[in-house]
Amino acid sequence: MQRSTGFCFLLIFWLTSLQTTLTLSGAEPFRPKAGEFPPIEKAHSYRGELTFVDHANRRGSLRVEGSGVFRKNDPHPFAMLPYGIVRYHNATADLRDIPLGTVMHVKAFLPPDPKISAVPVLPVDNKNRDANHNRGKGIFPAENHVLLLEDEPSYCLRNGLAWQLKQLTIANSQGTIVAQRTTPNGLMTSDEETLTFNGATRIWRGRELLHVTDIVEEGLWPAAGDKSLEDFKVLLGITWKPTTGNIFTQFHISDIWLDDTSIQRASRIQNETHKSHIRSRWMPAQVDTVEYGKFGRATVTATLFGGMAPTLYQDFKKGKAAMMASSENTLKHWAGGSAGTSQMACRGTIQKVSKQDAPPTLGSSGIQITFETDLITEGLRPSRVIRIRPSHWPDVQVPREEYLLDRKATDKQRFPTPDIFPSY
Amino acid sequence: MKSLHLVRFSLFIVLYLSLSPVRANGEEPFRPQIGVFPPVDKAHCFRGELTFVDHANRRGSVRVAGSGMFFRNSPHPFAMLPYGITRYHGAPADLRDIPLGTVLHFKGYLPTDPNTSVVPVFPVDNKSKDANHNRGTGIFPAENHIILAEDEPSFCLSNDLVWELGKLQIQNGKGSLTAKRRPKDIASSKEIKEELMTFDAGTRIWRGRELLTVDELIEEGVWPASGGKSLDSQTVLLGISWKPTPNGIFTRFHVSDIWLDEQAIQRATRKQTEVHKEFIRTRWMPGWIDTVEYGKFGQATVTATLFGGMAPSLYADFKEGVSARINPVAETLRHSHGAYGPSHMACRGPILSVKKLSGEIPVGSSGIQIRFETDLITEGLRPGRIVRIWPGTWPAVNVPREEYINDSLEERFPPPTIFPNYR
Repeated sequence: MQRSTGFCFLLIFWLTSLQTTLTLSGAEPFRPKAGEFPPIEKAHSYRGELTFVDHANRRGSLRVEGSGVFRKNDPHPFAMLPYGIVRYHNATADLRDIPLGTVMHVKAFLPPDPKISAVPVLPVDNKNRDANHNRGKGIFPAENHVLLLEDEPSYCLRNGLAWQLKQLTIANSQGTIVAQRTTPNGLMTSDEETLTFNGATRIWRGRELLHVTDIVEEGLWPAAGDKSLEDFKVLLGITWKPTTGNIFTQFHISDIWLDDTSIQRASRIQNETHKSHIRSRWMPAQVDTVEYGKFGRATVTATLFGGMAPTLYQDFKKGKAAMMASSENTLKHWAGGSAGTSQMACRGTIQKVSKQDAPPTLGSSGIQITFETDLITEGLRPSRVIRIRPSHWPDVQVPREEYLLDRKATDKQRFPTPDIFPSY
Repeated sequence: MKSLHLVRFSLFIVLYLSLSPVRANGEEPFRPQIGVFPPVDKAHCFRGELTFVDHANRRGSVRVAGSGMFFRNSPHPFAMLPYGITRYHGAPADLRDIPLGTVLHFKGYLPTDPNTSVVPVFPVDNKSKDANHNRGTGIFPAENHIILAEDEPSFCLSNDLVWELGKLQIQNGKGSLTAKRRPKDIASSKEIKEELMTFDAGTRIWRGRELLTVDELIEEGVWPASGGKSLDSQTVLLGISWKPTPNGIFTRFHVSDIWLDEQAIQRATRKQTEVHKEFIRTRWMPGWIDTVEYGKFGQATVTATLFGGMAPSLYADFKEGVSARINPVAETLRHSHGAYGPSHMACRGPILSVKKLSGEIPVGSSGIQIRFETDLITEGLRPGRIVRIWPGTWPAVNVPREEYINDSLEERFPPPTIFPNYR
């Protein structure tokens, strides 16, 4: 009797384990492959609050929204795919640009290679498991390798959405707004949400940054009480704050953009910040092919990663001198010494720039360059991640945490290392 | 063989002396003591770029400016003292409010107790050691327990300083400007060193209610589109960050923000004050226990000093007769027993009196002491221990998971396990 019970337990355990690697249909779960940009429709979508950032390694943690008590959800680690795109204020961004607390929309995949994941690897069906303690399902998805991470205004503008404001309740410069996401045709794409705001909420109008008290002084909002906001369309920046009254999940409005000018200005500033970032860190790309010549000579074809400002791509021109350097999947430079990335980069000329006709897959720019060098290095192999600098971008040295140093460097060399957390 | 022993013994002596916490003159190096706010004049001052934040544990890393090549300096871990104050845009802040890349001014001490430091402990004279590789001295100070971390405008506002702009060089919406930091009410002098800083099209320029870009200053004719211009000693406040610089320059900072007038910075201060007020109301006021007078059957009267640097309206909520709650917290100010919210295990009772201490109030203290009576004192409320206090009128909310300790003090965020060791 005991033996048959033991066998049943063993069988259940085996079946559960099997489920972690295979989906119910028996097919292998989808994972991005090295050298290919994965189709966005195969991504798992979720949203959550950015709670921790390790920008040098392009990873962090999100408190993922599920069906349960939001505050109980432990921050869930994620890593950006090498070609993963971060967007903030409807412009491309680096993780360092996003304030902690911002609620982000995520499109993510299982780790391409679980053995070298920079964040914990979870069972493939983890998103369907109840996390218990009233946290519900979906808060620890195994799909933690992110293709697209975008804040609320970026998400709305990419999908042609806006927030329709319905009802305001205010007292002492704080309160709630009932709002709903809508298409330009008035089609509601989400349920009505009650969001909080307070005296620190920023309200953007043209060039102006207003406070709630300014809006009250102007008579647009009452000082206290309720008011219909008459379906006024705006864009919202969304964060999360602890809520009273045992509410499971209620988000908070950090910003309101009242008009097109104001959000366009926010985009412009973020865009300039990111352009300066990419010019100093070089354009990320992946190697498609390498044709080896003699005595170290080679012709390399590479696809530039997507999502950047168009002016950055315009700097890649036929006949221009350039440098190509190997990089990690985290896009960290390999400095080969502390004399900077240029020291060990392959030098040469851009022979050709081609742009594919079809709209590129997310992650790719659709722009391929052919580059000839007289000294190819080991890091430049098909499907490997590289960084490219057109010669007129500034030749600067990136800060210490953004490069691997030398032959002693390993993938264990990360920042912050576990050593900074002493165990006493 | 004898000479080998001699060499070993000499090496031991050298190693012992270099690691010894006692200074050459025999004096113990200064460390803050539990239950005493340390004098700010004993703090070591440095500045650097915020490169990493673990806000839940009130610690992070900073690239400290030294005499060498700034970009080579590895981020140096720091921890806020429990009563340490962070300031941003002239207002109190939490570490999470400060954007990565911001250059901050620090006042730090050696760890109070090196055995329980949450960041690495260094030799006491580390700030005087050359870090080699052209990095110079001062970039890894052992004084990494911080009493005051403030951004550039906060530093200027608290010291009555302004930046006097000198000359502008501009092309394609970016360039450099020279500026001198000087006392607000004293005219500039040649003794004050001028700094050259970069700016670019991402630099934010604040004027009254307006946020302007460099392009708009050019359109208005305030700045030229290209070339040089004297900025006529205009006084402003600057937000400072760092970006990699070309041409092998050792250290050059970057202007992230310019506040052109008082209204502009006052509005920034007001906004940050509101952010922090709301933060403290939901996380409770930090303080420490001065004394505990034990009564019978768990009853006790507790005297506690509220920590300093908060908005005055928060302290005004501590009134005699108000029903309050006190919860023990870690040195990181993380709540204990938070799964059901900080109220669950907090001591409850009325505030018996509120006393404002006279004399000079040290940095870190509010100078406000409360007496509180509870009918059930808990273990965490002992003299010198850190607590958080809720004065009855603040919202009763539960803090997020990473901000409370559930099982043990070893629980950290992020835990080392998020960094898998592969291969």
